Amino acid sequence: MISFFNPLLLFGILGAGIPVVIHLINRKKAVSHKFAAIDFLLRSDKRIQIKFKFRQWILLILRTCLFAFLSIALAKPFVTNLGGMTAGKNVPASNVIILDDSCSMHYVQQNKTFFQSAKITAKKIVENLTKEDDVAIITSADIASQILPELSHDKENILNSLERLQPGYGIMQITSALDMAIEILHTTEAPKKKIFLLTDLTENGWDFTWFESEHQKLKKYVSGVHIVDLSEGETLENVAVTQVTPVLNVSEKGGESRIIVTIDNFSPSGKKNLLTRVFVDQKMVSQGFFDIDAYESKTKEFSFYIEKGKDHIGRVETFGDNLAIDNTRYFFLNKVQQLEALLIDGDPKTNIYESETFYLEKALNPEREHASCIETAICSVHEVHNIRFDDFDIVFLCNVETLPQEKIKELETFAQNGGAVIFSLGNRVEAEYYNNAFRTLLPQQLYTTRTFSSDNSLSDERPLFLKTGVTAHPVMRDFSETYVGFLSSVNIYRLFYINPTPVENTQTILLYSDDTPALIERQVGLGKTVLLTTTIDRSWTDFPVKPFFVPLMQQLCRYVSGTVPGEIQNEIVVKQEWQYPCPYGISGIEIIDPKGTKRSLQPQFVQNESAFLYDETHIPGIYAITVEGKSHAQFPMCFSVNLDASESKLKKIDPKKITALMGDINFTLTASHRDEERTVLMGDAKKTLWGLFLFFILCMLVAESYISRK
Amino acid sequence: MAEHPFDPVTLSKIANMELRAKLVADAVLTGIHKSPYKGSSIEFLEHKEYSPGNEIKHIDWKVQARTDKYYVKQFEEETNLRCYIFLDASGSMGYKSTGMSKYEYASALAASLSYLLLKQSDLVGLIGFADTAQRFIPPRSRLTHFHVLINELVMLKAAGKSHISKILNEFVEKVSRHSLIIVISDFFDDMKEMMHQLKSFQFRKNEIILFQVLDPYELTFPFETITYFESMEDDRRVLAEPKTIKERYLFEINRFIEQFKHQCFENQMDYWLVNTSAPLHQTLINYLARRKSALYPFLKI
Repeated sequence: MISFFNPLLLFGILGAGIPVVIHLINRKKAVSHKFAAIDFLLRSDKRIQIKFKFRQWILLILRTCLFAFLSIALAKPFVTNLGGMTAGKNVPASNVIILDDSCSMHYVQQNKTFFQSAKITAKKIVENLTKEDDVAIITSADIASQILPELSHDKENILNSLERLQPGYGIMQITSALDMAIEILHTTEAPKKKIFLLTDLTENGWDFTWFESEHQKLKKYVSGVHIVDLSEGETLENVAVTQVTPVLNVSEKGGESRIIVTIDNFSPSGKKNLLTRVFVDQKMVSQGFFDIDAYESKTKEFSFYIEKGKDHIGRVETFGDNLAIDNTRYFFLNKVQQLEALLIDGDPKTNIYESETFYLEKALNPEREHASCIETAICSVHEVHNIRFDDFDIVFLCNVETLPQEKIKELETFAQNGGAVIFSLGNRVEAEYYNNAFRTLLPQQLYTTRTFSSDNSLSDERPLFLKTGVTAHPVMRDFSETYVGFLSSVNIYRLFYINPTPVENTQTILLYSDDTPALIERQVGLGKTVLLTTTIDRSWTDFPVKPFFVPLMQQLCRYVSGTVPGEIQNEIVVKQEWQYPCPYGISGIEIIDPKGTKRSLQPQFVQNESAFLYDETHIPGIYAITVEGKSHAQFPMCFSVNLDASESKLKKIDPKKITALMGDINFTLTASHRDEERTVLMGDAKKTLWGLFLFFILCMLVAESYISRK
Repeated sequence: MAEHPFDPVTLSKIANMELRAKLVADAVLTGIHKSPYKGSSIEFLEHKEYSPGNEIKHIDWKVQARTDKYYVKQFEEETNLRCYIFLDASGSMGYKSTGMSKYEYASALAASLSYLLLKQSDLVGLIGFADTAQRFIPPRSRLTHFHVLINELVMLKAAGKSHISKILNEFVEKVSRHSLIIVISDFFDDMKEMMHQLKSFQFRKNEIILFQVLDPYELTFPFETITYFESMEDDRRVLAEPKTIKERYLFEINRFIEQFKHQCFENQMDYWLVNTSAPLHQTLINYLARRKSALYPFLKI
């Protein structure tokens, strides 16, 4: 059945009478001429007159049709959709309106965001529903926040809910939304079931594989899918700050910091002199210009001076497109965690190369320029009484035979208050003394030594090597497999076996090849203690000269001091879960989002570890972390949440692809939300015919021109 | 630039038919001044033996002196021409595209011919007709008769249906033998009947000259826009698009002219097609030059 978008223009059909009137007027106005030789005219006119009249009639019909067809074409005819399970217009229908609330819907076109246009369109759809129709409304970027997940007849409530809707910051997940819509519709008994998808039609979220697997389901439970392209089919331009990487300056010598900024141009045209500014603590600290070709990205480094020893929050902003939301990217600069390590050498030698701490000291601070952020101090056992352990973060006891009793007490207090103590053994270590003196600190009781070198007459066994446990300890998580592979090249010639009696709060970091513990960690109060059951120099092992030794020692220091970089999520994207390991003795934290909403978190167990999880990262910005209302030394001050850069790509999906995806499903794609006609919005329009009529008009014009010229 | 005095348009402005006819006749006479056919109007033709009743003054005494017999001279004046001009005054003759109407042209032609003939003492009569004879002026040879003819020509108006054959039939008995019959018409009538009646005249030893007067528009049909063509003699009208019909029309009218001309030629009638756009005097000169044999015996000029 043919319907019209602009039926009022059909009055133009009256214009078809114009040629008739002109014909009659012309006939009336035909010049009269008295002519003598009229006999010859009549004689010759008999046949020609018939031909002439016939031609006149044809011309008259053509011209009349021309006006009529033009009027019809302007009235935009279309064939009413007769597909689906029911064809009648008055059949009750269940409808699910999916609003795309992804980040790209913030795009401003004609002083309105796409999302605002989507709301207007959704309201119109709801207003066009009959009393028998019901509707549910869901959003595509965040299924969890569906507005009306159940079908309802209450138009007023639906419209109010729509009014309250706000665009999200997540990525488009159309297939999830369709799944939800099918779930809603498959329960209803309504003969007509429709899904309205109001979107900007960008490529994001269109999962082709979902359509392959769920096509039949969609066809079975839905009688029509009607997509309204709110971008009106236009090519969208966008630039976005897609990456901001702070480069930490670990040196205390200068206050200069750097960040690396990447800006992507997702537009079909190049961008020149794109102003970009860096703000730190609400102050602009640097700015620059980007020239980026179409569909290219550019990276620049910005340098600025900031106060050292403090945490800083900042953002990078660029300007000049219609999607402003992705023009800003937030970052967080941790204060540099400088560690102070005391290395107590139990076996100092005149030749420093033979000293117990030689390799360790080199491993912790290879360049002596604080490149590792670990500053070392070495002392002998005799010098210990002059040293306060509290001045350090970590204390290494390297093959220490004994310690004064008061220093042992101080060491215990040091560990209880959050300090880290790392024991390495050697030929000076007496198991019994250690087990008694360091009972509260040692992760495990020492048992006895054993030698594995074939060169040693005491043993005929091959040297052991190192390996990781079944579950990777946090110290080991950030190492690549290649590095971990180096462990097997380590030769252990002698070691201390430990007492297998389990001790609370211990974890094995590394094992020997015979599955006995090599490196063990223990939580002591707020601090940690670690035991290496062999030497930290080359006396019992060649571990100190293996490539793995340096990173392992540094990582171990950061771990025991609570500053492992891998454990701190400085930047995450919207909707991504923030996770932070729970330090000992912390029972809860608070997260304050950019809007100022505070949420308290309790630690949860994740992969056998206690950690804080936060999943309400709905909006981009800086999220503050507090413990009992204050920032805490064991937590970063805040973390930043940014947009997923994939939503900045506004490349449109080809309508042909959608047609292919939909296959034989009854579907319509409306290019403009301005087509406010009910037939379009409600998906009743199937195929437009004005092109066909215009073609007819063209043919008639040609015919008219040919006949009248002849 | 001075206007040519004999241009049809100019002539149409001259109301005085007499003046018009005289101008044309003078021009014709000037045009044929060098004609070898000029001579006296009363010329010796032959001798005839005297018989009682003959006038004595015509006896050729020189011959009597030589032969001792009486002979009288016979003169050519006995061949004085009696001419009847049949002028078609039907409605169709009133057609006029530019300048003169066909009737105006035809009457000027008739007046000019009359003047020429009267000037040489021939008798000229006039029959103005449409479907019936509207005027009949018997032939006279006095020059004052010209005024009578002119008056009649002016009085006549082109109107009514044309019925040439009927008029010819009506006058075939009335016209003296050995007369010159000049018919000036567009001959838009039944050709067969016309020829039949004309032959009757010919049978009675009459010489026939036919002037077919046509308007240039009738010959070229230069119309462009869609037009209602209305008959000038009755109520017939036809709406036609000239571009469509032109070719066919020209074919029909030319066929008619050719057929008429052919039949005239076959029946030894002198036919002359007159286009009203041509200057009248020129038409006459051309005609006289080409058809001297037709008029020469009668026009002793």
